[in-house]
Amino acid sequence: MNQEFSLTSETRNNCLIIATSGYLNNVGGETIAKEFSKHFEVGTKEVVINLAQSKVVNSIGMSFLIDIIDQLNNANGKLIFTNVDPAVDKMLSIMGIFNFAGKENSVEDALKVFSGQK
Amino acid sequence: MDDFVGRLAIQIGSLQEGFEILSKASTLKDLARQFFHVVRGNFITANVGLFYKPGPDKGWQKLQGNGPENFEQVSNAPSVRLFTLQLLEGSETKVRVVQPLIDRSYLGMLLGEKLDRTEYSDLDKICLQIYSELFGNAYQALLHRQKERELIFSLNHRVLQLNSLIDTGIEVSKLDQYSSLHRLALERAASLTNASRGLVRIANGEGTEEFSFPSGAMSQPAAHNGHRIQSSFGFFGSTYTFELFDKESRNGAGPFEETDQVLLDALARQVHASLENRYLHEQALEKQKIEQDISVAASIQKKILPETLPAIEGYDIFGINIPSKSVGGDYYDCIPLHDGKYALVIADVSGKGVPAALLVSSLHAYLSAYLEGGFSLVELVQRLNKVIYRASTDDKFITAFIALLTPQTGEIESVSAGHNPVYMLKNDETIQELKGGGLPLGMVDMDLPYHSEKAAIERGEQLLLYTDGIPEATNEHEQLYESAAPLKQFSLENRTEGAEAFVANLIGDIKRFVGTAPQSDDITALYLRRM
Repeated sequence: MNQEFSLTSETRNNCLIIATSGYLNNVGGETIAKEFSKHFEVGTKEVVINLAQSKVVNSIGMSFLIDIIDQLNNANGKLIFTNVDPAVDKMLSIMGIFNFAGKENSVEDALKVFSGQK
Repeated sequence: MDDFVGRLAIQIGSLQEGFEILSKASTLKDLARQFFHVVRGNFITANVGLFYKPGPDKGWQKLQGNGPENFEQVSNAPSVRLFTLQLLEGSETKVRVVQPLIDRSYLGMLLGEKLDRTEYSDLDKICLQIYSELFGNAYQALLHRQKERELIFSLNHRVLQLNSLIDTGIEVSKLDQYSSLHRLALERAASLTNASRGLVRIANGEGTEEFSFPSGAMSQPAAHNGHRIQSSFGFFGSTYTFELFDKESRNGAGPFEETDQVLLDALARQVHASLENRYLHEQALEKQKIEQDISVAASIQKKILPETLPAIEGYDIFGINIPSKSVGGDYYDCIPLHDGKYALVIADVSGKGVPAALLVSSLHAYLSAYLEGGFSLVELVQRLNKVIYRASTDDKFITAFIALLTPQTGEIESVSAGHNPVYMLKNDETIQELKGGGLPLGMVDMDLPYHSEKAAIERGEQLLLYTDGIPEATNEHEQLYESAAPLKQFSLENRTEGAEAFVANLIGDIKRFVGTAPQSDDITALYLRRM
């Protein structure tokens, strides 16, 4: 697996779905934040970040994620992480990220949460 | 006066409400947005511009509002460290406020004409100063909250580092893939120290192997001019170097901290310990396998050595073998032959352990085959010499004594292949040594002659075959059994005993002599007594 950071995004039912790949560091965090801002500025308040292909995260990457969570929570929006690797899961848990953001097994599960089916 | 008090009361109420709103702001932009609405609502003006100057030497940047985009263009007033409020004439902007903030930054505020087109009153000026200070207080509270969050984040990160260090130690000890071990440690080190990149280099005499994180990221690590830390250790001729490059922050790359080096060293130590543990584990497995092999060899050898010796009419015979290790290099047997004779054999392979046991096994197999092959004793020994020579390494040979006993007559034909002399205890209290033969088996393959020796054992006489483990048994004072208690003397003194008792007495005597010293060589004896 290439560990250099990259992302893809799509919108489904007004929900932004970002799928990341590689080391979620400063570059990765900034790239996610930029992608998020583009959609947040036009009213997107439901965001899913699929971390299936990101097995390593550092605290700078995490600080960008916290910014996104802050902005969404202030706007009554929500961020849900999906497909979180156990090591990353432990990191995000210790850092308290899941106190302010959701976690689901898959993107489909996250979309169900947003649509009220779960 | 009543009007002034009334307006003041309203402003105080607004102030309380305003502070509650402002104190909830989570970012400077958010704070500015809230303040913008508070000011606009309280001073009934459409045009409010809010600006921010991060430091005395920094420029102004617009935070919120309408009107002029550039704070400096409105007035050329020098930077100040105190609250200033200027009323501007002949301009759309009527008021210019500069409020110093707690961290040497500044809030700038431009207010346009009031909607009712009235002038800004003294009360407005007082209220503007109070609102500006309110912003300053809210800004200070925001900074405190941000610092508190940073502190919590930093503490959580420390907990994460410790936790990850423990987890990594456990995980690297579980990994059986050599490369996964380094990769995992490198990933964790990069992640926990916020390094932008990392590299593991394993250098030894055969070359250098590298793993980078992110993969393929370091094409020219030596040429890297930025910040780096490294930790190295040596293991089995290889030098393992973990390197991390450029500590990340939200403002770009910078130098690593002392704790980063401590973390990297700790992770490198975990890899080192894991490699050592793995090596020791492999050694233990190998040792276990060798012990299993030895155990198999020992059980095979047990089957080669006779459990009981055949009963020979008119004779009493007994033998014993006590190996010094789990597998020995001595051999003895008494084999009945189809012509009514018996082959008495004793042999000693140079060295001990599995290689010696393998040679004993070969000797046993070839001897069993040749004894029934119709060869003369000399021919048989010559053939044995050749096959043992081919089956053994240069440093291995066998000393052996092989005798053919005709029980009815007591005739003995023997060949000693470099073995200790065999003692025949004669009725006249003398000892006849049987030692004629040739070189040990397998020593050379030059067709050197062997010759046999003939003797006869009379009724009441005995024959003692033994290996050098008996005369050379050593006690804790490094004395040899042979020098302290000559075997010949012992044999003559005990010759009236039955075969089993004779051997038991001999072993008992040796054990008493040796005491607590470890057994240095295999002990084997075969004792034949003609009744």
